[in-house]
Amino acid sequence: MKNSNRANMCVPLLIPRSYKTSEENKTGSWRFLRPRYLEKTAPCSSACPVGQDIPRIQMLAVQGSFKEAWELLLSENPFPGTCGRVCFHPCESACNRLEFDEAVAIRMIERFLADTASRYELQPRLNKLAEKGKKVAIIGSGPGGLSAAYFLALLGYSCDVFESSNKPGGMLRWAIPFYRLPLKVLEEEIARIESLGVRIFCNHHVEFEKFKHLRSNYDAIFVSCGYQKGRRLNIPGEESPGVEDGLTFLRELKSDPSSPSLHGSVAVIGGGNTAIDVARSVLRCGAKPVIVYRRRKEDMRAFGEEIKMALDEGVRIEELKSPLKIEKKESGVILTLQKMKVAGIDESGRAAIEPDNTDPEIVSYDRVFVAIGTEPSEPWYVCDSCSGKDIKLYNSVMRFDGQFPVIFGGDLTTEAKTVTNAIASGKEAAMALDVLFRIGKDFVLPEISRCRVGNGLSVSMEIYLNGERKNRVSHVVSYAEINTDYFNLIPRTPQPRLLREERINSFSEIDLKISGSVAMKEAGRCFNCGICNHCDNCYLFCPEIAVKRQDSEEGGLRAINYDYCKGCGLCVVECPRNAMVLEEESA
Amino acid sequence: MELSVPDREFMYSGHVACPGCGAAIAMRFVLKALGEKIIMVIPACCWSIIAGPYPMSTLRVPVLHTAFETGGSVASGIKAALEVRGDHETTVVTWAGDGGTFDIGFQALSGAVERNEDFIYICYDNEAYMNTGIQRSSSTPYGAWTTTTPGQDWKKMRKKNIVEALVAHRIRYAATANIAFPEDLINKVKKAKNMKGSRFIHIFSTCPTGWRVPSEMSIKIARMAVQTNIFPLYEVENGVEYTINYRPKGYLVKEYFKLQGRFSHLTEEDLDQIQEMVEEDWKLLLRKAGVFSGS
Amino acid sequence: MKTVMEGSHAVAEAVKLARVQVISAYPITPQTHIVERLSEYCADGSLDAKFLRVESEHSAMAALIGASSTGVRTFTATSSQGLALMHELLHWASGARLPIVMAEVNRAMAPGWNIWTDQTDSLSQRDTGWIQIYCEDGQEALDRTLQAFRLAESVNLPAMVILDAFFLSHTYEPVDIPDQAKVDEFLPPYEPKFLLDPGNPCAFNQLAPPDVYMEMRFSIQTAMQSAIGVLEEIQNDFSEIFERSYGSIEPVECDDADIILVTSGTVTSTCKEVIEKLRSAGEKVGLLKISLFRPFPGEAVRKVLSRTRKVAVVDRNCSFGSGGIFAQEIRSALCNVPDHPLVYGYVAGLGGRDITPELLEDIYWQTKNTDFPELDSFWMGIREVKDGIICSGS
Repeated sequence: MKNSNRANMCVPLLIPRSYKTSEENKTGSWRFLRPRYLEKTAPCSSACPVGQDIPRIQMLAVQGSFKEAWELLLSENPFPGTCGRVCFHPCESACNRLEFDEAVAIRMIERFLADTASRYELQPRLNKLAEKGKKVAIIGSGPGGLSAAYFLALLGYSCDVFESSNKPGGMLRWAIPFYRLPLKVLEEEIARIESLGVRIFCNHHVEFEKFKHLRSNYDAIFVSCGYQKGRRLNIPGEESPGVEDGLTFLRELKSDPSSPSLHGSVAVIGGGNTAIDVARSVLRCGAKPVIVYRRRKEDMRAFGEEIKMALDEGVRIEELKSPLKIEKKESGVILTLQKMKVAGIDESGRAAIEPDNTDPEIVSYDRVFVAIGTEPSEPWYVCDSCSGKDIKLYNSVMRFDGQFPVIFGGDLTTEAKTVTNAIASGKEAAMALDVLFRIGKDFVLPEISRCRVGNGLSVSMEIYLNGERKNRVSHVVSYAEINTDYFNLIPRTPQPRLLREERINSFSEIDLKISGSVAMKEAGRCFNCGICNHCDNCYLFCPEIAVKRQDSEEGGLRAINYDYCKGCGLCVVECPRNAMVLEEESA
Repeated sequence: MELSVPDREFMYSGHVACPGCGAAIAMRFVLKALGEKIIMVIPACCWSIIAGPYPMSTLRVPVLHTAFETGGSVASGIKAALEVRGDHETTVVTWAGDGGTFDIGFQALSGAVERNEDFIYICYDNEAYMNTGIQRSSSTPYGAWTTTTPGQDWKKMRKKNIVEALVAHRIRYAATANIAFPEDLINKVKKAKNMKGSRFIHIFSTCPTGWRVPSEMSIKIARMAVQTNIFPLYEVENGVEYTINYRPKGYLVKEYFKLQGRFSHLTEEDLDQIQEMVEEDWKLLLRKAGVFSGS
Repeated sequence: MKTVMEGSHAVAEAVKLARVQVISAYPITPQTHIVERLSEYCADGSLDAKFLRVESEHSAMAALIGASSTGVRTFTATSSQGLALMHELLHWASGARLPIVMAEVNRAMAPGWNIWTDQTDSLSQRDTGWIQIYCEDGQEALDRTLQAFRLAESVNLPAMVILDAFFLSHTYEPVDIPDQAKVDEFLPPYEPKFLLDPGNPCAFNQLAPPDVYMEMRFSIQTAMQSAIGVLEEIQNDFSEIFERSYGSIEPVECDDADIILVTSGTVTSTCKEVIEKLRSAGEKVGLLKISLFRPFPGEAVRKVLSRTRKVAVVDRNCSFGSGGIFAQEIRSALCNVPDHPLVYGYVAGLGGRDITPELLEDIYWQTKNTDFPELDSFWMGIREVKDGIICSGS
C-alpha cells in the first residue's frame, strides 16, 4: 500500500501551539510603583530603655529558638533574668496589640528565655571583639556600672569595677526584695559579666580624692554610683528612734537571711516602688504595714501591678495624708497627719494637693519607715546640669576633665531612675567610649544618634556593631499600619503566681515559671511590628510570581524580581506587619 | 513560617494580567493545588489573554483554549478521550470566568454536570465581562456600575447564585473559595481533585481595573467580601451536605462597598437595602446548612 | 456481503468499522438514525467508543474538539439547524487542525420548519475550513465515511460526509459492508501529530497576533489544497483494497457532450437515467457529478467542462442575492479558461421538493434552447403564490 501520507508531509502544519514560556515578557517595565522590603521599628523596642529587638525575640521564641532569642536579649542587655522580673515593661504599654486586645506579655517571655537558658546551663555565643589595649574604671556595680563593664569588655576594653559595699549588684542586690528577684538570678548574671574578664573590687569606696587618683591608671571612668541616700521628710521628730530609712531596712533584710521579726502596725511613708517594697517586706516579717501617702493612690509612682499585689496581700494605703510631725512614745511612735485634698490635676494626670481644713489626725504606730525617694550620696556624683563642653547623650553624659573622659550614668543621669534605664546608660557609655577611643570626640554624638532605636531614648548595640538591625528605619510602626486581618483575638497569658497565702509568709518568688509551649503561644500573639517574620504573604499573594524566597538558615528577607514585578502593591498591603514600603519608581 | 501551600509553581512570570489581578492569583493557587497531571480548558475569558500570545504560555500545564461557551463540553470530550486512551489519572479542569460560566457557558456546564462528567469546573468570578471592558454579566452584583449599566442604570438585579444552581443538579461537589483565603482555596481544590464526577469551585477574584479599586487592595477587598457575608465560604457535597467554612464576625457590607468605585453612586438607603439582601441570603444559607441562628 | 440498509445505517456501519473512539451527538431529524445505531453499537459493545449524549450540537462539536485535541478518532452527525448551531465551532475545529469527521444530512433551514432535503445548510458552512464530500447513494456514504477519516487525519482538517435527507438517509439500498480486516488495512489507528499531554505541556489555540495569524491561515489553505491530491491517493488505495473506485468528480458521457449537466447528491442518480434517455434520443449531453466540494477540484472540473459549449448546474441550494452555489463555483473555476462554456444555473428541489426526471429534462432543453443565460440562476418549478403579504412600494 502506498503511503498517501507522503503528500501531506510537505504541508506545513502551523497551529497556535506554545513552545516557550512567558518569561521573556519582562512585565517589570509596566511598573511605576516599586515595593521594597524595609524593616521598621516596633513601638515596644522604641519604648524599651535598652532598645531590645522585641519583635525578633518573639519571632525566635515562636519558632522555639529559645537560645537564639536569649542571645539576642544578651546582645542588648546583660540582665535579661533580672529585667524579665523587675523591669517596669514600658514595652508592654507601647505594644500595638493593646489596641487590638491586650499587650503581649513581653516581660514574661524575657524571663522565660533567661530562666530556660539558666536551667539548661546554656553558654551564650557572645562576640567579644579584639583587645583594644585601653582600661576603663567603673564606679558602682549596680545595673548601670555592670552593664558598662559588660559591653566595654565585649568591645575589647579591660574594666575594673569599684564597689563600696561588700557585694556587687547595687540596688538589685540591696533594694529589690527576694520575692521579686531571687538572689540566684542576679548572681548568675553578675558571674556571666565577670566571665568576660571584668574585675569587680568590692569594699572599694571611691571618694573624690580616689576618683581623681584613678585617672592616672585608666583611660576613662564611668561613674554610676546611683542614688543611694534616702531623702528626708524634713519634719519634726524625724530623728526619733523607731523612725527608719526604708532603703536601709530593705538592705538589712537582704543581707541577713534570717529576716527580722516585726510586729504591730508599721507606717511606711512614701508612694514609690521602695515604699511598696518596704510595706510588702514588713508584711512578710509579721507586722501590719500601712502606707501613708500624701496624694491619691492613683498618683503613686510605684508600678500599678505592685500596688495591686500589695493591696491584695493586705497592705493598707492611707491616701491624701501628709505627715506633719513624729513623736516618740513608749513603744513606738505617734504620727500626726494632715489630711490633704485635691486641688486640680497637673499635666501628667497626677493630683495637685493642698491641706484641707480639718484637724490633723493622730495615729500611733510601732515603727515608721520613710521611703520618699533617694538622692546621690556624694555631691560630686551629681551631674544634673551640662556645660557646653559636655556631650549629653540619651541616658548618660560624657564630661571631659581636660582631655580625660568621664561618663556619668545610671540614676545620676537617666530620666527615669529604673534598673533598665541604668542598664541603658551603661550600654550607651560603653558605646560612647568606644567611639571616642576609635575615632574621636566629634563622632560620639553622631554615632550614638545613629544607634537610636525608633524615637525613644534607647540605643542598640546591634546597630552600633553594624548588625542587620541597622537596616531598619526609625519609623515606629503604629497600630493603624498593622494589617489586623491576619490576627485573631487571643487573650494575654496571665502570669501564674503564688497564692496570696503562700506569698505573705515567705520571701519566695511570687511569679512562677511558665512552660515553653505557653511562652511560644504568648510570643505568637506578637504582631512582629515592622519586621519580616517570613510569613510569606508577599510571596503568596504576588500575582507575578515575582517574590522569591531565599531559604537560608537565618531566613533572610524575601527578594523581589523587578524583571516581572508590575508594582501592584499587594505585597506591601498584605504584609501584616509593615515590613515593606511602596515607593514611586525613579525614572 | 510554614505555609500549608505547595511550593511548586505551575505558572511562569511574564503573563499579561493587570497589576493586582485576582484571577492571576487564583490561577496560581489552583495550579499549586492540582499539581502537574492535569489538562486545562480555558474558554474565552481574561485568561485567554493573560496566558500569553503565541508562541508563549504562562502555564506549565497543557491548556486548550476554546470558545466562550464550551467550558463544560470541551472538558467532557477531553475526559472521554483520556478514558479511551486508558489514562484514568489526568484530571480535566475547566477554568472559566463568570461570563463563560453564569451566562454563555451555562448550558454546556449544566449539561456536563447533569451527565456527571468527571471533571473540575473552576469559575473565577470577577463579576462582569472584564476582558471586553467591564460589561455586566449575570454575576454582576446588585448595585454595580459597569460600562453597560452606567449612571442611574446601575444593575438592579441580584447576582445569579451559581453554586445553588449547580447544587440543584445534585453535583458531587460545589464550593466557594476566595483569593484572600489561600489555604481554604487550596484545600478545596485538593479535595475536589480526589473526588470523581462533576466538581465546581467558585472563586471570588477581585478585578482592580473593573471594580475601580487600587491594585494593592485586591486581597483586602476579596477578604471583605467574605467578612461581610457577601461571598460566604462554603461547600456542598452531593447537593445536600452543606458545610460553612467561615463564620464572619459581622462586618457591614457598606465597608466593602465604600472601597469600590463601581459602587460609588449608591446612597445610604441603597446600602441599607443591600445589607438586608445580604442578610437574607446568609440566613437562607444557614438554613440550608442546618444552622439555626437567632440573628 | 451486500446488505439492504438505510443510508444512515451505512454511515453508522462505516463509523463502527473505522473504530471511532469518541462520538458526541445531539438528536435532529433526519440524522437521528445514524446516532441511534451508533448508540446501539456502543451499548452492545460492538463499538468500543465513548458516546457523549450532550445537550446541544454546539456541545457535540465542542466535546469532539476536546476529544480530538486529546488524540483520538472522533465522529458526530447532524443536520440543518444543528449544523448552523455548530458553526462557530466548525471554524474552531479546522483552525485547531482537528481531523473530526461528521455525517451531515442535508436538511432545509427553518423557518418554516422543513425537515426535507436541501443543501443550503452544508453549503452555508463552505468557508469554515471543512472538507465536504457529497454522496450519491448508501454505498458511497459508507465508503466516503471511511475515506473521510483517512483524508482528515492525513491533512489535519475536519471532514463532512454529506447525505440528502430521506432520499439517502432513510432509503434502503443494498450496501456492501467491507471486512473489518480490510478496513483496518485501509484505515490504521489514528496517530495524532500533536495532542494535549501533561508530559509535554503546551497551550493550544491561544492568542495569535497579526504577525502569525495569516501564516496559520495559509497553512490551512495549503492543507486544504493538498487534500485534492491526497484524496486521489487515498482513493487509489481504496480501490486496491475494496475494488470500488471514486473520484472527486465523476464525468458521465462528457467527452463529446455539447451540454453537460452538473449535479451533486442523489439527484445524480436520477440525472444518469435522464442522460441515458437523452443520449438514446441523439442528444449530445453529459453529466458531471461533483463529490468533493471543499476543497473544490477546480482543475479536474476545468478538464471536463472546458471542452463543452454549455454547462447546466443543478443546485438544490441557494445563496440569496446570488444564486445556486455549485453554479458559482463552476463559473469561477471556468472564468479564466479561454472560450469557456456558458454556465446556466438552475435552482431546484429546495426543501425536499422532488427533482423529477422531467424537471431535469426541462433543464436540458431550456439550456439547449437559450442562447445566453440571462439570470445567474433560474428557479425551476416556481408556483404562483396568492397568499403573500403585499408590501407597498415593493
